[in-house]
Amino acid sequence: MKQIFLNIWHVAQREAGRMFIRPLYIFASVGVMVLCTIFFLSIMKRGAPERMPVAVVDKDQSSISRRLCHETNATQSVEIVLISPNFADARLAMQRGEVYGILEIPEDFYADIVSFKQPTLHFYVNNAYTVGASTAYKQLLTMCNLTSGAFQREVLRKKGLPEYLIMERIQPVAISAHMIANPWSNYAIYLVSTIVPGILSLVVLMLTIFAIGFELKMQTSRQWLEIAGGNYTVAMIGKLLPYTILYIVLGIGCNVILFRFMHFPVMGSSWRLVLGILLLVFAMESMAIALIGALPTLRDAISIGALYGMLGFSLSGFTYPVMNMLPPFQALTWLIPLRHYYKIYVNEALMAGPVMNTVIPMLCLTAFFVLALIVSPRLHNALQYNNYPLK
Amino acid sequence: MIITRLLYSKWLKVQETWGVFTGELRRIFSDPGVVVIFFVATLAYPILYNFIYWKDNVENVPVAVVDMSHSQESRAFLHRWNATPDVTITHYCTSMAEAEQLLRAQKIHGIIYFPSDYAECLNTGMKTAHISLYCDMSSFLYMKAVYLSCNRVMLEDMGRIQVDRYEAMGYDKQFSWQLVQAAPYTETALFCESGGYASFLIPAVLMLILHQTLFFGICMLGGTAREENNELFLLPGRRRGYSVLRITIGRSAAYFLIYYALGAVVLLAVPRLFNLPHIGNPLAILKLLVPYLLAVIYFSMSVSVFTRNRESGMVVLISSSLIFLFIAGVSWPQQMLPDAWRYLSYFFPYTWGVHGFLHINSMGATLETTAREYIALWILAGGYFLTTCLHLGVMGYIHDKKAGC
Repeated sequence: MKQIFLNIWHVAQREAGRMFIRPLYIFASVGVMVLCTIFFLSIMKRGAPERMPVAVVDKDQSSISRRLCHETNATQSVEIVLISPNFADARLAMQRGEVYGILEIPEDFYADIVSFKQPTLHFYVNNAYTVGASTAYKQLLTMCNLTSGAFQREVLRKKGLPEYLIMERIQPVAISAHMIANPWSNYAIYLVSTIVPGILSLVVLMLTIFAIGFELKMQTSRQWLEIAGGNYTVAMIGKLLPYTILYIVLGIGCNVILFRFMHFPVMGSSWRLVLGILLLVFAMESMAIALIGALPTLRDAISIGALYGMLGFSLSGFTYPVMNMLPPFQALTWLIPLRHYYKIYVNEALMAGPVMNTVIPMLCLTAFFVLALIVSPRLHNALQYNNYPLK
Repeated sequence: MIITRLLYSKWLKVQETWGVFTGELRRIFSDPGVVVIFFVATLAYPILYNFIYWKDNVENVPVAVVDMSHSQESRAFLHRWNATPDVTITHYCTSMAEAEQLLRAQKIHGIIYFPSDYAECLNTGMKTAHISLYCDMSSFLYMKAVYLSCNRVMLEDMGRIQVDRYEAMGYDKQFSWQLVQAAPYTETALFCESGGYASFLIPAVLMLILHQTLFFGICMLGGTAREENNELFLLPGRRRGYSVLRITIGRSAAYFLIYYALGAVVLLAVPRLFNLPHIGNPLAILKLLVPYLLAVIYFSMSVSVFTRNRESGMVVLISSSLIFLFIAGVSWPQQMLPDAWRYLSYFFPYTWGVHGFLHINSMGATLETTAREYIALWILAGGYFLTTCLHLGVMGYIHDKKAGC
């Protein structure tokens, strides 16, 4: 028994040496994680899109149309960057990607509105850029509705209605929207808290494949097994130990940054969230072992790993809900550890839902270990005999 | 005549360039890993992504209702809301607590709550009637579907209620309508009418797939050459005295030839096959593809000099896909990027390429309209061509020095 621990220690020592001798390991793990965390947090530091550029086609050029422009410009979410009497100009600006929305004020707007001729406002958005467009859409929609409201208020005032009754006439129904756990509609909370663990899972996958595959490629795997006393399990545990410690530190580190320093909401238990990220690391390591075991050639396993890893972001369903995917792909999401982590995150951070909703994805993450076990005989064989092509 | 003279001139000996070009093609096709990345990934990924983002828009999001007013008005509202494609009412709950449990268990993604005085407020006209809406924020697409559809139904309802009230005040119907709809409006999605997620994201992803497969493929080839300790592999023909210029042109011509064909298929066929936006002029897209591919090729060749072995490039650069997507200002508005990142993004061919492609393909712009992107791509192509030549030149110099001593 003592020998086994000693062997694990020796393998881990050897591995730690290999880890620091090549800059790749530290750079691809710590470097990439730090860079990506800083990058995503800094680009979304404002949370929601603000001052999205829009154009106004002011064919009326009256005091009312100017007032409408001023009031639109005074809102937080849009900024008028172009006022033109000509729709073609605004459309061109949109095609150049300079504006996300256009508000068109028709000719004689002022004259028509005061004479109850119901002039029609038009607004256009560019859905080719969805985030900017939906921000502009919401604001322009509000402005158009307010225009009629403001007019009604003026008329009713002149008719002598008391102020409190006027409001009832203008706004008989109101929706008060409650955005659960993210009342600011903050994109950072929505995106970064899954993107960063997703990048970690990608790092774990690629580096684990690389660490094992590189032994095969350099034909050092037999030496590795010898240090482990010929025991495959010992060799694996010893080898992955230093990396796993590093990944755990990174995983907990990014959780601390997101939920402690950035104050992203955690409605449930942050401990279960931490456990979730640890299980994500283990599941990704298991998946990496499964891939390199199934394809014991570094270059093949790395290529397939990259193709699989990139799909993880889409299939995790954190931007595009799984229920809208094609059914076979809905089934495929079960093979994506990030999907299970995302479920844990939603349940613990946003919903504080029943514990079972955290436990089941955790069990799924644990089940990835089975994949690693299945390929073990094959990988053991490959490590021992180096009987697969080196490239 | 002039062209032939140029081709056979001292600078561009066509035979030598041709030799490098065919040699590079041979290298590509004899490397199964590169073939997989270049051909299989480039063609399979667009199809996979289309299958994943199948429905374009999020539809029939399950929601629950807590109706404390039990009134005709609330039922009429729910009826209209349920009729929108965005949501489906799956649960009628008797209390908020019950609905909240469903939401927490992720069985539903939104709750609508009518207070008990809802109908009373509407009918007496003394108070604004409030509807409360609770949105699941785990995916913004749920929130968008639930919130926007509810808002739209509310606005419609509101118009009707207002007219009713004015009529009750004794105004005639025509006048009431003129008052309520003092300035009616139309809303138009000028491009990408469906407003769906797939029709926004996939065109951008197509450009990214071309970029990343080319990038990884070239890094793999460079890494393999370094690994086999044959730096001359990166500089084929150098032993015979070929210049760096001819080597760079010859190698890049091989990549360009393959990717121009692949790029044309991916950018022109995929949007048509899967009914994504494709209102652009195909010829303009083909023209834009030229500087884009050249810029990506020389960008990748410049970077590939640093990859020391075949796989390391992939391991380190795998996360770059997401960074490219976000820094380009597609998934996140360009205006929201901090200046430092925005200036950095100008150095990436993807930033210009994707906007150029979206402008032409999704928004029907002409090449003249998107000239800014087109010219920027040519500048980048030229710039990275020079850095590639410089890198290879330095490598050749180091190699010669080593060989000398």
